[in-house]
Order: sequence, then structure tokens, then C-alpha cells
Amino acid sequence: MSAAELTHAVRVLRDEVLDTAEHGDRDPPGAEVFEALLRALSVGGETIPGLDLALHDSVARRLAWGDSEEDVLADAELVFDRLVVSVERAFRDPDDQMAVIEAATQVAVTVARVVALAAVGRASRERAARTREEMAQRQLREVLDKQKAAIQHLEHELKQDFR
Amino acid sequence: MTAHAAALRVAGDTHVGKVRSTNEDTLIVEPHMGLYAVLDGMGGASAGDVAAQLARDTIRDFILHRRMTLAPRALLEAAIAAGSTAVFLAAQHEHGRQGMGTTVVACLVVDADRVVIGHVGDSRAYLLRSGRLQTLTRDHTVVQELLLRGVLSVEEAERHPYKNVLSRNLGGKAETQVDLVELELRPGDRLLLCSDGLHGYASAEAIQYLLGSGDAPEHVARDLIDLALRGGGGDNVSAVVLEAPAEELSSTEVVRTTGASTWWQHRQRFLQLASDGGLPRNPIVRGIPAREALELVGLSLCQAIYHDLEKSTGVNVWTFAQNLAAGWFQRGGDWQAVRGLIDILAAAAHGVLDDIRADDPRLGFLLDVAVTRALVVVELALGGLLGERLRRIDGDLIALHGEALDTVEFATREAIQIPDRASRTSERFIDRPTIPFLRLDRPITGSGVSAEILTAIGSVITIARAQISPRAELLEHILLAIETVAVDSAGNFAAAVLSAREIYGIRSMDEAGVMPLFDALDEARLLVAAAVQQLRGSEALRVRVLRALSTAHQRLVGATTGLVLEAVGPFSDRLREVQAVTAELRDAVAKAERKRADLERRFATIVDLDQPWGTRGTTEW
Repeated sequence: MSAAELTHAVRVLRDEVLDTAEHGDRDPPGAEVFEALLRALSVGGETIPGLDLALHDSVARRLAWGDSEEDVLADAELVFDRLVVSVERAFRDPDDQMAVIEAATQVAVTVARVVALAAVGRASRERAARTREEMAQRQLREVLDKQKAAIQHLEHELKQDFR
Repeated sequence: MTAHAAALRVAGDTHVGKVRSTNEDTLIVEPHMGLYAVLDGMGGASAGDVAAQLARDTIRDFILHRRMTLAPRALLEAAIAAGSTAVFLAAQHEHGRQGMGTTVVACLVVDADRVVIGHVGDSRAYLLRSGRLQTLTRDHTVVQELLLRGVLSVEEAERHPYKNVLSRNLGGKAETQVDLVELELRPGDRLLLCSDGLHGYASAEAIQYLLGSGDAPEHVARDLIDLALRGGGGDNVSAVVLEAPAEELSSTEVVRTTGASTWWQHRQRFLQLASDGGLPRNPIVRGIPAREALELVGLSLCQAIYHDLEKSTGVNVWTFAQNLAAGWFQRGGDWQAVRGLIDILAAAAHGVLDDIRADDPRLGFLLDVAVTRALVVVELALGGLLGERLRRIDGDLIALHGEALDTVEFATREAIQIPDRASRTSERFIDRPTIPFLRLDRPITGSGVSAEILTAIGSVITIARAQISPRAELLEHILLAIETVAVDSAGNFAAAVLSAREIYGIRSMDEAGVMPLFDALDEARLLVAAAVQQLRGSEALRVRVLRALSTAHQRLVGATTGLVLEAVGPFSDRLREVQAVTAELRDAVAKAERKRADLERRFATIVDLDQPWGTRGTTEW
């Protein structure tokens, strides 16, 4: 099968692999992985940076909507498992099967790389946020100390006046 | 002057020659005064030697008594002038001494690196510096004067009948003019003071050769006189050789010269120690008489070390070790014999070094370093050979494995029990709280592979491992981890997580720490895919193997990413904790603010309205 035919054949498996019926109009979990797979198959040897960029955008979108990195990872695993099963059933030619499995493995590694990068980036941001929080705490403590001193002073003055 | 003079090595010698019956030459060699000179007397009826001795004594006494009052240059000039006057007066007043005189070339050592040379007549001073000989003095002869004025050519001067007639000497006139040269000595410089009995009968090239021979000054002086005698010895011949101290040799030069020769002088001791260590009984030299064995192996290494010490290389010991071991391996010999032999030789070498250290600690230390380095080169050469052997064995094993796959029926492999590596490795990790994705008991789709697939998986991983560099340890670990996960039949995530923990190790939580791991995982994917294509068997088998290995690879990649998520988890937790503390602080500040405002309100109500606000001093805060 040519690359275009193979891509078309795999696209047919989309509903089966992503279980779209269960999710209605919404994008099913793992859709970005499946789209990346189609892209990898259609260009026949997509470069790693190309896949990285495509997946980076879609994974970043999911994370921005509130999904966790763990969710993305679990979805990718689910898509891979279902795809492997579907491919075995759908394709007769061993070469086609191998081509799809190889592409799926490549996408799996790329998803993992993107998720790991996102996690590392988040860790870096959180480190910076923690530093900012700690600085804010220092300032707050200083303010609190001044407030306490002022309160003590006022209380003392009030006692004097009442006397 | 005298203290510095002691730093020089000096020797002088004189000889009557083969023709004359009396020696009219005389020398001054006074190291404590730093004074050295050659004087060549002239005049019949024993007047020549009288003139020379008189001038010698006068010059020596003058310097001895006046050295504290005159500068070195003036001192030497005045001393020679005094010598001339003394000879002149003696010639005038003593019967039969008329016309007597003497030449002189004298060297006064000012300090360790400075001398003044004064001369009158045709006795010469030469300087040998960096192997080149140069004349420091100009002969005071009639022919030389004519040559300088351009009246004669060099060829005409050489053949001129009056070439030995002096234009200047001590004693010829009441006053004489002294030529002076000041010279800065450099380490290793050699000075030669000589009479015309030497330079008239020996070529400059021969003088240069002997002066630069490196022998001690006393040997050089004697050799120079022998040279003049072999050249005819037609005149009295005298030579004084002065040598400035050489620069201290570098460690490398010491090892190359003294060290190498000292090592070689101890070769019999080396052979004795090697013999005592059991060299003749080593399997490599079995059947050869002990003496021959020692010479064949022991002396060869001793000689190789000697040559390498001389040239500061390791070529000879490397060649020795390569030839020894390669020959033995070609004969089917084992490694232990080579190891044993080298150990014996190394022990003998260290025994010799101990002896040398006992005699001369500094040289012993330098030799110890150099010889140990040579022995390390031997080990490196053997290591190279062993590495080559291992590569061949590895290749043979891969080939044998392939052949075994072809010949053994797959059916017979059904009974083979693949050890559950996950169950073994799981004991190495303590269960700890982690993210749900990494739970060891999380069920996953099992590969459900047959024994045939298991065997094929092993073959693919072996082929893939053969493609990588021995240094690519991470890649090799990943390939083994993929195999582990692929053959795991537990149906849960444990094998993947545990294998991932093994390859994950300790990493910094940034891009530079994590990305190499994913690069290696990607490389492993390509290697596995290529190895599957090389697998012997049907296409269907290859597809099943690829599916199993890809699934395992995906699990491993997932688990590795899970580990990254697990590692960054504490960052979020810590941030949340810090944010909670900040929130508490903000609450506390707000509460304090409210309390202060309340107090201020209360305070304002009790202040006497007649008093202006601020006079009570309560607003200072």
C-alpha cells in the first residue's frame, strides 16, 4: 500500500480506536495521538521535530484545558493498545502492519517526549513560583512584625491614658 | 672572585712535545684566586722557561696582593703589564737573558658567569658554546697585523715564512699593550687557553670535537695534548680547560641519560629476580632452558624498557607485549599465563627499582615513575589484545546463536521456561507512593506471546545489541529492558515500571537531564525495527515480534515518562504548601491590620480635643 492509501486505511479505524461514540461531539481523549499517527504515516518518515511540534501544540492545548500530563499519557497508551489490536485485524499485508506499528511506536515516543518536556517545564515554572512565594512571605512577615509592634504601642498608650 | 671560581670545573696540562728538550710553557691554575693562564716562553739558553716562570709568578703575586684594590679588568691588565716589566727588567740585567720573553693568555674569573681574558702574543683563548668553537683572541704576530691591514691575503698569510714571528710579547719592551676581552659565561660553556703548540698542530675542527665531547675537563686537556702530539708535537704544548656549570637536567633528561644507563646496569639483577619469581616455569616458556627463557623474555623486556627510557616513548614495551601475547594466543594459549608472566616481570622491575632507590632516592623515584609508566603501557597493549579477542568471541557467539535458531526445532522450545525477570527485579525496589499511572499492579494488555516469539525476541535484541557501541551503556540497558518487558507475562505494569526505574537512575529535573533518555529510547526503537527486519523466519513471525517489542517499548516509554511526572510531583506539592503558608500570612496581616485600625479608633476617642493631634507623641509610630 502507498503512504496515502495506508493513511486512508488507518483513518477508517479512527472511530474504533478512539471510541468516538462514547464522547459525542467532543474530541475524544487521545485524538491528538491519532492525528499525529496519521500525519506520520502520510508524510512517510516525518521528521522528529515535525511530529514534536504538532504534538506539542495539541498536548499544550489539552494541558491548558485542565487535563493532567498523566491523563495525556494514559490516553496515548490506550490509543496505542487499541490501534495494535485493530491493525492486526484490519490489515492483511504484514508490511502494512509493520509500517503502522512502527509509526505508532514513533508517535508513542514523541508523545512521551512532549509530555516529559511539558512536565519539566511545569516543574521549572513551579520552582520559580515557589521562589516568588517565599519572597512574598518574607515581605509579609516584615509587615506583620511592624503591625504587631504598632498594636503593642497603641495598647500601651491606651492603658496610660485610662490611668 | 674566589668563591665564584670554585663553581667552575678546571683542568690544565702541559707537555714538552716530541722535538724540544725543554718545556718553556708554563701554566697558572689557581682556583682559589680564579686565575688561569698559559704562558709560552721564548729565547735561547733556557731563557724561555725563565721568562715564562717569571711572568707567571709576577702575574700571580700581583693579583694575589692587589685584587682588593682594582676592578677585575684593570687588575688583569695591570698584572700582565707587571709581568712584562719584570721579564723586561730581568732580560736587561741578567747575563744571557737578553731577548727573552713570553706570551700569555690569562683568564680571571669575576663571578660564576663572568670572566675577563687578557692576552699578549700568539697563545689563544677559545670558547665552545652550543657546540660551536670561536676564537676569543687575535694572535699578535707580524703576519696577522699585515693580514688585518689588508697587505696579505689569508692564503698568503698561511704560507708566510714569518707567520710565527710575534709582534707583541711580555718582556720585549718595557711596556706592552694587553688585549682584554670580557665574557659572560652561559651554562655549559667551555673555555680553552692554549699555547701555539696546540693550535699550530691541531685543526680547529679537532679541537672543537674534543672540547665538545662532554668528558671531564682533565680528560679533555689530556686528549687535546695527545692530539697535538699526534699532529707532530713540534713545540711545547699546553692547555687549560674551564667549564661553566651546566644547567640542572630536567627529570626527563635525567631519566633519558643516567636513568636509562642505571636501569641497564641492573639487568642481571632484573633477570635474577625474574628467575626467582618463577619466570622459567611459566607455561609460555615451558620447554625452553631457563637461561634462554630469561634472555628471551626477561632480557627483551629489560632492553625494551631501556630503549623507551632513552627516548621517552613506550613503543618498545608496547611491541614487546603485543608480540608476546599475540604469539601465545595464536598458539591457543590462555590469558592466565600471560597475566602470570607479566606479573613476574613487573615484580622483578619493582625489585630493581627498590635497589636503585636505596642507592639514589631521587634517581630511583624518577625511574620508578618512568618504569611504572612503561609497565602501564604493557598493560594497555594486553588490554587492546584482550578487547580484540572479546569482540571476536562476541561475534562468534552471535553467529552460533543464529545457527542454533536455524537448526533447533521451535517445537522443542515450548518447554523452555523463560524466567520472570520482573519478579526478580521487583525485590530490589520498595513499593512507594507514586502517581496512579505508575502503580505496579495496574493491569495492562498482556502480550500473550508464545515460546517461538519469546525466542525470536531474544534474537532480535541480540542482533540489536550487536549493532551498538560497547560504550553505549544506556542504549544497551534500554534494549535489555525492552526484552524484559516483552517477555513479561504478569499482565500488569510492574515489569515496565521496574525496568524504567533501572534505566532512569538519578537525573536532574531539567531538559538536559531528561532528554538524553528519550533520545536513547528513540534510538532503541529504530534499532529494534531494523533488527526485526534481519530476523530469520516468516513475515508473520516478524510482524508478531515487532508488535510484541513495540508494545514493550511503548510500555517502557510510558513508564519512563511516568517517572518524570513522579519526579516533578513534589514540586507541585511543595508549591502548594508554600502557597498555603503565604495565604495564612496574608490572613494574619489582614487581621493585624484590622486590629490596629480598631485600636486607632479607640485611641482617637479618648484624646483631649483641646490638645492638637500629635503633641502627645503617640503618632511617632
